[in-house]
Amino acid sequence: MLYELAPPFALVLVAAVLAAVLPRTPGHAVGVLATGAVAALSWIVPEGTYIDVDLFGVFDAVVYNVDPFSRLMGLIFGFIGAAAVLYSYASDADGSQTAIALSYVGTSLGAVYAGDWLTLIFFWELMAVTSTLLVWYYGGRAVRSGFRYAVLHGIGGSLFLAAIVWHYAEVGTVAFTGGGITAGVPAALAAIGIGVNVGFVGLHAWLPDTYPSPHFAASVFLCVFTTKTGVYGMYRAFPDGHLWIAYMGGAMAVFGAFAALLQSDMRRLLSYHIQSQVGYMVAGVGLGGAAIGHGGKYYHELATAGAFGHVFNHILYKGLLFMTVGVIIYRTGKESLDHIGGLGRHMPLTAITFAVAALSIAGFPGFNGFVSKGMIIGAADKKHLEALWYLLLIGGVGTFLSFIKLGYFAFLEGEYSGTVEDANIGQSIAMVSVAGLCVLFGLVPGLLFDILPVSAEAYEYTTYTTGHVAEGLVLALLGLVGFAILRGPLHHVGRVPDIDAVYNRGFFYGGRVLVVGVTELYALLDRGAVRFVSATYWVGANPTLAVLRVSRLLPQSFQPAWTEEQPQTDGGAPSRLYIRAGIGTSILLLASVLTVVLVVVL
Amino acid sequence: MTEELLPVLLIVVPILGATLPLVLGLFRERVGWAVAAGTLSVEAAVATWLGYAVYIGDQRVVHVLGGETFGRKEVTVGEFDTEGFIVGIELVADALSGLLVVLVALVALAVLAYARRAGPRRNAFYSAYLLLTGGLMGLVLTGDLFNLFVFLEIVGLMTYALVASDRSGASAVAALKYLIIGTTGASMYLVGVGYLFVRTGTLNMVDVSRVLAGEPAWVENALYSEPLVVASFGFIAVGLATKAAIFPLHTWQPDAYSESPDSVTVLISALVSTTAAYALARITWVVFSPDFFAANPRTVELLLAIAAVSVVAGSLLAAMQRRVKRVFAYSSVAQFGLIVMAVGTAVHPAAGDQATQFAVYGVVVHLIGHAVIKGGLFAAIGALNSSAGARYVREYAGLAKQRPFLSGSLAVLGFSLIGVPPAVGFVGKWYIGLAAVEAELWPLVFVVFASTLLTLLYVARLLEKLYFTPLAAETDTEPRPAVAADGGGSVSYGMVALAVLAAVLAVGLGFAGAELTDAVQPLVEAIQESSPEVHP
Repeated sequence: MLYELAPPFALVLVAAVLAAVLPRTPGHAVGVLATGAVAALSWIVPEGTYIDVDLFGVFDAVVYNVDPFSRLMGLIFGFIGAAAVLYSYASDADGSQTAIALSYVGTSLGAVYAGDWLTLIFFWELMAVTSTLLVWYYGGRAVRSGFRYAVLHGIGGSLFLAAIVWHYAEVGTVAFTGGGITAGVPAALAAIGIGVNVGFVGLHAWLPDTYPSPHFAASVFLCVFTTKTGVYGMYRAFPDGHLWIAYMGGAMAVFGAFAALLQSDMRRLLSYHIQSQVGYMVAGVGLGGAAIGHGGKYYHELATAGAFGHVFNHILYKGLLFMTVGVIIYRTGKESLDHIGGLGRHMPLTAITFAVAALSIAGFPGFNGFVSKGMIIGAADKKHLEALWYLLLIGGVGTFLSFIKLGYFAFLEGEYSGTVEDANIGQSIAMVSVAGLCVLFGLVPGLLFDILPVSAEAYEYTTYTTGHVAEGLVLALLGLVGFAILRGPLHHVGRVPDIDAVYNRGFFYGGRVLVVGVTELYALLDRGAVRFVSATYWVGANPTLAVLRVSRLLPQSFQPAWTEEQPQTDGGAPSRLYIRAGIGTSILLLASVLTVVLVVVL
Repeated sequence: MTEELLPVLLIVVPILGATLPLVLGLFRERVGWAVAAGTLSVEAAVATWLGYAVYIGDQRVVHVLGGETFGRKEVTVGEFDTEGFIVGIELVADALSGLLVVLVALVALAVLAYARRAGPRRNAFYSAYLLLTGGLMGLVLTGDLFNLFVFLEIVGLMTYALVASDRSGASAVAALKYLIIGTTGASMYLVGVGYLFVRTGTLNMVDVSRVLAGEPAWVENALYSEPLVVASFGFIAVGLATKAAIFPLHTWQPDAYSESPDSVTVLISALVSTTAAYALARITWVVFSPDFFAANPRTVELLLAIAAVSVVAGSLLAAMQRRVKRVFAYSSVAQFGLIVMAVGTAVHPAAGDQATQFAVYGVVVHLIGHAVIKGGLFAAIGALNSSAGARYVREYAGLAKQRPFLSGSLAVLGFSLIGVPPAVGFVGKWYIGLAAVEAELWPLVFVVFASTLLTLLYVARLLEKLYFTPLAAETDTEPRPAVAADGGGSVSYGMVALAVLAAVLAVGLGFAGAELTDAVQPLVEAIQESSPEVHP
């Protein structure tokens, strides 16, 4: 088949190379074409297409494998990739940055189209490298946060790798068996390793640290791939879900939403919302097992479908949010809500698309977030996991609150002095097309169900029921009321410390202790080695003296007799030790050996 | 049928040839080299023919000295009549001795190319040279234990003469030391053979082996556990270990190697200890057979222990030396330790068929490989001595620039000695190590590993001097009266060619490892089945 000749990651990586060497305009064009082609390919390449290679004669690696889950991921990655490249082009991103971004897209595609653990971890690690480069490329403050990002993802990737190695040792194959990763230690390692990527509470601090730092167009790429590939990996590792993972998802949803509420930096706020939204997806993956909670009829199918539907929708509206915020930064040069306001009248298109994205992320009826979030919340409800259900609802309130805050302070409140233009044409095309999809998938949820990897018959979810709509409206109302009460305090909160304040310090001081300790230990060993070597040198140079000194330790009667004439040094040259046996001694030796031999053998 | 004459020709030709330099010397001076070259060319041709018959023709060539009167006949011992016991002396060329025959003939011929310029040039020297070759051939070919002693003595006496042919005081002392120790060793061997003769009534290797196994009617059981037999192995092993220079019986060897003329060092380092080790291997494997060691496991353990000590002690002593010749002389102590280790491993009760096979491969490959490597090393060292006057390790500083071919050969041979693949030194050591692993004799595995590191120690020191230490200051190198005193002072193409040829062979034989091991397959089977005769 022809399709096997063009695995998506290869297309995009070739485009990345071209984008790096071509001038800016054709480079971006190639990028749009390649990512668009990936979206198209994901749509048409039939399931079961694969490329396998025999790696080192030991591993049967499947570098390209098309199944319903990877198809969905490929489709949305390809689409948003194309939109983001277009947005980058419109936002004056230079060719090299887009080339790096494309390599990041390519490695993410490699990860989601991987047919075995080895290929998955290979692209997973590469994805961490390319995304770090994307952050670093911006320079300045981004270098430091990029470094923290790299360290954390290095640790996470290593844990995941360890899990895979352990899994291989247990199972004897690296191929996906459908049963996920071996339970026990490998599963725990994988959960924590992937947990770094999806931003488990406590492992999430890289998100708000890194994503606001680079170029605002780079943020559009970043907000999409790493965390969503993480969700995909989580599903591969835990296809039958896990209750703890589900609760971790709930905790992430709440924590992320309320931490976002306290932010003033727009992209930082959005980054916390990635954690919150990924929390819903992780909850969906966690619920995706028949054994989790109340069995019921196929509710775990609903959860899995919801998780991947939310991945799909989230990529659309979160990409859109970063685009709109990017436009504000592009036009005003301001990052913080404290310095802007009243932009709605100056940039109506941005305001409208932002409203679409905000309503989508908050799960307002009629927008795509409502569909998939509802599925996950519904699954938690049906499985009678009340605590999780409440967590997810509270997360929803927090989401409303923080997006009302963002929209209110950016577009409504106050008056922006001076003139500000709206998004330029390229940005507008990217934003409007994504916004259109948000609305489309919200109004016609059947379209979404058609492309989800779990067939719609399996879970029979009706989006627009009175209960669901009422739920969405109540959450929105609670958000409005809450914002009305909290409006004053929420403005000018200042920077709120997160968990990274603890472990950055811990890392720094711990690292200092470690470095000083290692240096001192090395110095100690070094001194010892040098002393040993010089002692050996001395013995080599003065063997007679050495023998003499050793023999002084022996009892008097055993000491060899030294004549006074024995030269200690030989005309400046080191003295020599004569240990040649004479004829008599030799015969004695021979006789002794013979005696010993006879005594032993007889 | 004519092949049966070949073994005796191999012994007779050089011994008769040895008389010629003396006779012709009456008419012309310096005729020795030409006579030796002619004789040894014939010898090499005959040896090749024999090798062809043994390995390509798959024959076990046997010659019974003395013609029709002698041979395998019906013998009456007391009231027992036995078929097929021998009267007289057999010469046997089989899968093991065939390789050694070819090795001896070719090395003896090749070293002549070196001796032409390097000397000594007296006719008597070449008589001794030819006699030594004849003795080595006899030692390799004989199938008779007492006859082996005779050839051992011929070899010994000629070696003493050759060592002393430098006509310096030091070489005379070295020769005397060798004479006394070597003769004592040979006597030990003779005592052992005497014990065996007393108990078995025969001296033929095959017959002794059969009697020891309890095959004839007049012995009731196998004689393996009889003290006389065990003691005889002890004497024979100690005697031959002295000849092969196993620590601590090696004391004659460094002096003999370092004080003799360079040509002699090349010859005896390549052949003399090699044939002694061959004799030990043959007697251990074929005469005493694995069954003997199964009955007396402590015997083989002691052999292994001594060999292992020899490997480590020899290497350490080599690393301590300053004279290059002594470095490699002690290195031989270590290498023969390795060979004896493999000889013992092959018959160790813990060794399965696989281990035996690998051990035999190891012995054969390393015997031949070591002969080539060590001969080549001493040729290179000798040539460096005559051309640059370098005798001590420190004098090798920066010589690589002046003598690229000799230094290059030295480096290749040195690496081969260490056991760097693909050279032959690696193949031999690999099999020896593999045999120890298969037999699960872990201390031996460690020793093989350690020997590699220790060899690296002294070879690397030399190569570092050669290649990485700048040439010593002119004032240091200026006074070199030693060059003139050595009599040579120049290097012939033959001398360099021998070193280069050895280096090429050392690498080439590594690729021929499979052919070598295939050639000794009959021997492996004979040992595995405890058969006294090695039939193809």
